[in-house]
Amino acid sequence: MDRKMSVMIVDDEAIVRESLFHWFKKYGHIVETAASGFEALEKLETYPFQLLFVDIKMPGMDGIELLEKVKTEYPDTLVIIITAYGSIESAVNAMRIGATDYLLKPFKPDQLSLVMERISVQKRLVTQYNYLKGHLEKITRFDNIIGQSPEMEKVFNLIPEVAQSDASILLAGETGTGKELVAKAIHAESPRSHLPFIAINCGAMPESLLESELFGHQKGVFTGATRARKGFLEVVSGGTLFLDEIGEISSKMQINLLRVLEEKKITSIGSREPVDVDFRLISATRRNLKKEVAEGSFREDFFYRINVIMIEIPPLRKRKEDIPLLVEHFLKKYCQETTKYVDHVTRDAMELLKRYDWPGNVRELENAIERAVVLSKSRTLRVEDLSFIRPPDLQFSKTLSLREMEKTYIQQILEENNWNVTQSAKILKINRVTLHKMMKRYHLERP
Amino acid sequence: MTSKIKSVGLVPLGNVPEIDLKVLAEHITGCFKLTTQILPPLEPPDDALDERRLQYDAGIIIEAMEAMQFGNQDKVIGVLNKDLFIPIFTHVFGEARQGGKCGLVSLFRLAKNPDGSTPPSAIIQERAAKVALHELGHLLDLLHCEHKQCLMHFAGGIDEVDKMSLDLCEYCSIFLQDKLH
Repeated sequence: MDRKMSVMIVDDEAIVRESLFHWFKKYGHIVETAASGFEALEKLETYPFQLLFVDIKMPGMDGIELLEKVKTEYPDTLVIIITAYGSIESAVNAMRIGATDYLLKPFKPDQLSLVMERISVQKRLVTQYNYLKGHLEKITRFDNIIGQSPEMEKVFNLIPEVAQSDASILLAGETGTGKELVAKAIHAESPRSHLPFIAINCGAMPESLLESELFGHQKGVFTGATRARKGFLEVVSGGTLFLDEIGEISSKMQINLLRVLEEKKITSIGSREPVDVDFRLISATRRNLKKEVAEGSFREDFFYRINVIMIEIPPLRKRKEDIPLLVEHFLKKYCQETTKYVDHVTRDAMELLKRYDWPGNVRELENAIERAVVLSKSRTLRVEDLSFIRPPDLQFSKTLSLREMEKTYIQQILEENNWNVTQSAKILKINRVTLHKMMKRYHLERP
Repeated sequence: MTSKIKSVGLVPLGNVPEIDLKVLAEHITGCFKLTTQILPPLEPPDDALDERRLQYDAGIIIEAMEAMQFGNQDKVIGVLNKDLFIPIFTHVFGEARQGGKCGLVSLFRLAKNPDGSTPPSAIIQERAAKVALHELGHLLDLLHCEHKQCLMHFAGGIDEVDKMSLDLCEYCSIFLQDKLH
């Protein structure tokens, strides 16, 4: 075997546990024993054993029941079933459930070494597969933007398309949806990828400072300007400028930027000499700028200049099917950062994560997972570890009639489940036909 | 440099030809450079015989030996002519626990070829020497080795014992020197 493994022997017979324990020790494996299925599950909670040798016949929880539980909770853990001659049928059943192999005891010494050799080969192939899969994902996907939902697929498909042009892009999405990551991905895919990517949060600085940061200034033009400084519009020279929270900039700044975008020239504060600039602009906003244009609070000409292409990044509540994938990603990330080993989330905990609306979107989910990993005492995240997440209780106005309340509740469940009738009916505990009738009665349609 | 391990004892358990014991002692001295002494014979403990399997439980014999005093022997290898087993396996050629004091070698299955024929006594003695040195390796805390030729490679069948050499691979040799000095 090329690498040492962590092995647990689960058998109610002490002599079997002892024999196997000593045999595995001779290979330098990490070996643990458990006298029952319950003890094995307890030990799995605290340590990620890679391989379990499980006797099929045990009092309390038998080997098959343990196998089922292990395969549900820890699908990566390999299980070898040990069985006596009388129970071959159960062993075959075990293979169907997901056991890697089975051994009839007593077995010839070389049978066990053969099984271990096969596992070693399988392990090596899995490692290679994971490496190549990760490599492929890096090629075909964009780092750190996680999602498989149709909404995210649309975004993924747009990135390489828009990256090739120089048109200004407006990224629209709520806070924490990953607008900057999308901007970086567009830059990385673009012909400008070898040039700088500069991100500025327009909402985080006062107008005068923003102007100085963007346009630069000459020495002595204001107090503190002890030397001349180039602005980011010039420093970015050929790269991509990402202006986050573009909706926060003043009307005056909108005019200034509009002029830069049209003339491709800037004049730094205190200077009369215009300088040529070349950059690609990606802006982002969490506000509804179209509405603000209609209301007159945002300049129409500037809006159309920055919004040649608009990409809408969906909020997390509209792509809840991505939550398990994101959770897995953040668990890996924070396990590496904290050196803690948390690789599982109970079904109830995952349900809680999926039920919550995540107003702070992916950023809030990431913070929640980081906090839970830091505080977790076992390798499994449970509902108790996420007690700081409080799904909002249904809020109904006391003036609503029963019918109105029913309509509101059905609509809410449909929205939460992306208007999937089968899934919503299951939650509402009514059949699909009834739900269709109610939707018709209340004129509820997918927007 | 002086060795941490001063002497290895070979104890016959039941009727074992003296010549076989002498060959084993020579091999231990020659290969591991350890003083080897043949000790007075003992009988395997009665409770080691599993009447259902008609085999001797290696674990029980080792436990009984570990409870005995063997003078100034640091490690002791018991040699017997009985069929040995450990509960999970149909049989074993030898047994020793990692870093333990006592190990076992059984000549019983070494005296038959995989096709059922009987090999010459020199082959049986060479096989016994390999098993004895392998088990002594475990007593000296050496692990099973991946190299198929190495003495510490796990041999489940007679043909694998035959393929195995009497030498340790480069890495196991270094580990052995580390354990001995």
